[in-house]
Amino acid sequence: MRRRSQKGSMPYAAGRGFGRFSRLVLVVGLGLCSLTARATCENTDPVPNMQSPYAEGWGIDHRNTRYQPASSIDASNASTLTLKWVYGLASTTPRAYPLITEDTVFVGDGGRGLVALDRATGCERWVHEHTGAIASAILPGRIDERDILIFNDRTQGMYAVDARDGQLIWHAVVKDEPVPWYSGTPLVTEHAVFLPVASLEVGLAANPFYGCCTTSGGMAAFDIRTGKKLWYLPTIEAQAQVTGSHFFGFVQKHGPSGAAVWGAPSYDAKRDWLFFGTGQNFTHPTTDTSDAIFAVEAKTGKIVWVHQFTKNDAYTAACNIKALNHPNCAEPTGPDVDFGAATMLLQTRSGRELLIGGQKSADVHAMDPATGSTVWTTRLGRGGIIGGVHWGMAANESLGLLYVPISDKEVKGFPAPGTPTPGLYALDLETGEKRWTWTRESRCAEEECVFGLSSAIIAANNIVVTGSIDGYLDVVAADTGRLLWSHDAWRDYKAVNGVATRGGAFDAHGPMLADDLLVVTSGYGYVGRQRGGNALLVFQVEADK
Amino acid sequence: MSDGLFLAGRFRRLVATVIDAILVPTLTVVLVMIAGVVEHAEDYTDNWWMLWVFLLAIASYLLLNGYGLWRHGQTVGKQVMGVAIVPASSGGDGQYGREPAPLWKLICVRALFFPLLFVSVVPWIALLPLVDQLLIFMKSRRCLHDLVSGTVVVRLRPQ
Repeated sequence: MRRRSQKGSMPYAAGRGFGRFSRLVLVVGLGLCSLTARATCENTDPVPNMQSPYAEGWGIDHRNTRYQPASSIDASNASTLTLKWVYGLASTTPRAYPLITEDTVFVGDGGRGLVALDRATGCERWVHEHTGAIASAILPGRIDERDILIFNDRTQGMYAVDARDGQLIWHAVVKDEPVPWYSGTPLVTEHAVFLPVASLEVGLAANPFYGCCTTSGGMAAFDIRTGKKLWYLPTIEAQAQVTGSHFFGFVQKHGPSGAAVWGAPSYDAKRDWLFFGTGQNFTHPTTDTSDAIFAVEAKTGKIVWVHQFTKNDAYTAACNIKALNHPNCAEPTGPDVDFGAATMLLQTRSGRELLIGGQKSADVHAMDPATGSTVWTTRLGRGGIIGGVHWGMAANESLGLLYVPISDKEVKGFPAPGTPTPGLYALDLETGEKRWTWTRESRCAEEECVFGLSSAIIAANNIVVTGSIDGYLDVVAADTGRLLWSHDAWRDYKAVNGVATRGGAFDAHGPMLADDLLVVTSGYGYVGRQRGGNALLVFQVEADK
Repeated sequence: MSDGLFLAGRFRRLVATVIDAILVPTLTVVLVMIAGVVEHAEDYTDNWWMLWVFLLAIASYLLLNGYGLWRHGQTVGKQVMGVAIVPASSGGDGQYGREPAPLWKLICVRALFFPLLFVSVVPWIALLPLVDQLLIFMKSRRCLHDLVSGTVVVRLRPQ
C-alpha cells in the first residue's frame, strides 16, 4: 500500500533515475542560481542617473503627442524585439506608467510603493514605500538642482519624492472636493504641477442610501517646490441643490454634479494654456461643461473656452445595475461618453495647429486650439461605456497621421447599438479621413475573454505600439498598419525578483518606448472579464538590425 | 429531570439563524437610512461611517433581540422556531432546565459571533465562522459560540 502511494505521488521517480539525489542536485542548483542573482543585485548602484528621462509627461511630451522621438525601434528592427527581463509586481492590475532614464526604470509596484530598477538587470536601486496603489505615470521634475519624481495614488493624492533615493518631499491633496479621485496623471512644468480631479461619487452612487451627487470634477495647480495649492478650477461652478428624494424621502438627490477630469492635461507653451476633457454629469440637471473640452490659463486657472460635444449625459455606477431600477441612476440615463483619453495638441504637415479629443462614443474631434471650434469629427466605432476611445491616442506629425485605438468592448448587460469595430485606425490629421485600419482575430472566440483596444498607445519613428485587452502586444507599421511583431502575454513569466508572475490584459496607460526598449505592464483586470496579471515586461531590440 | 428540555434540532437552529440574519441587517439598513450616516460625500472623507454602521447594527440586534434574550433566552428567530438558549450547566443526561442563560453572556460573549456570519469574506478570519458553524455537527450540537459562552440551544416543546 505504501509503495503504491509513493508511486502515485511521484510518477516520474520510478525507473527513471530521477530520485532523491537528482532532486537534491536540483534544489542546490536553484539555490545557487538564486544566490547568484541576489549577489548580482547586491552590486546595483542605489543612485539612479536622471540626466535624460525619456518622457516629460504622460504624453511623453507636454502636448500629449504620445510620440517618442528618442526610440531606436523602427519597422526595420521591430521583429527582433526580445524579452530582456521581467519584473513581478507586488499586485495584479498594474496602473502605473513607467518612467525610463538612461539607466533606470521607475514604476509603481503594487502595495510596495515606487521602485527604481536597474534598466539593464531589473535589480532594485531603491524603493519608496507606499501602502496605497500608484496609479499614474511616473513624472520627472526638478526643484532647483534636485531631480524629483511625481506620481498619484488614486485615493490618497499626489506625491513628490527625491529621484536619488525615493525620500518623500511633499504630499498634496485637493481639499476643495470631499471625495476627490486622482485618476488622471498630472502634468509637470517648471514651476507648477497640474492635477486632474475626478470624484469617487461615480462609484459611491451604487450605494442606494447615498444621496447622489454633489461633487464636481476639476483641475488643480500646485507649486512644484512645496506642493501648496495655487488654484483650483471646478468643472461645475454651481453648488449642487436638492432635486428630489427616494426611500420615503429619507435619501435626498442632488445636482448638478460630475464632469470629472480623467485624463492628463495637455499644455500649450506658446499660449500658456492647459487643455483637458471632462466626463459625463452624475445627475440631473446636466451642465454645459460635461463631455466637454476645456481650455484654461495655466497661470490662473481662468477658463478661456469650453466646447461641449455631448449634452444631457448623466450616468454613474448605479446605472450599471439598472435592472434593479437603482434610485441613484439618473433618468434619462447616459450614454456615458466621457473624454477619458488625454487631449492632444498637434501640428499638421501644413503647419496648422489642432487640438484633438477622443471620446468614448468613438468620435474623434479636431478643434482649433485658439477658439475650440470644430475642424473635423470622425466616428470610428460603435462606442460604449468602456470606449470607443478609452485611454489615449498617438500621433506621428511628420507622417501627418493620428492613431486611434478603438475598444468597443462588449459589456454584459449593456448592449450598445451597432456592430463593434475594435482596432487601430490611422486618420489623416489634416482632414480626419481614414487612411488605414488594423485589427486581427480575437482569441476570445475560443476563450472566455473580451477583445478591444482600450489601452493608450504610443508611436515612434515609423511604428505604432498597441496592446489589446485579450493580451497581445503588437507593433505595426505607422504608414500602412502592417503587423511587424507581436507578443502573447497570456502566460507565466520568470521574473528577475523571484515573484510569481503572470501576464494578462493590456490596458490603461499602455506601452512605453525609450531608446532600444519597449516597456509595458500586463494584467489590467480592473474592468470585467479581463485577465489580471502582475508583469512588468521589458523588451529590447537587437542592435545593428 | 422528566420535565427537562432536549437539544434543539440542527434544522430549527439553522432556520432561526437565517431569520435573525435577515431581520438584523434589514433593521440596520433602515436605521442607516434614517440616520443618514452614508448619505453625504463628506461621510466618506474618513472611515468613521464604518463605525457608525457597526454601532447601528449592534443597536438593531439589541432592539430586536435584547428583551427576548433577557427574559426567555431567545432571539426573534429562536422565538419563531420555538428554541431557546439555556446554560449548559442546567442539565444532565441530555436534558436541560428552562432558565435562560445570563444576559451578559448572551450579549457580551455569544452575540460577538453573530457579525462573523457577515464578514466571512475577510481572508484572515474567513475560517472562524465556518469552524463556528460546523461544530453544530458534533454530538453535543454546540457551535463554537455555544462552547465559549457555556450554553446549549434547546427545543421548548416536549419531544
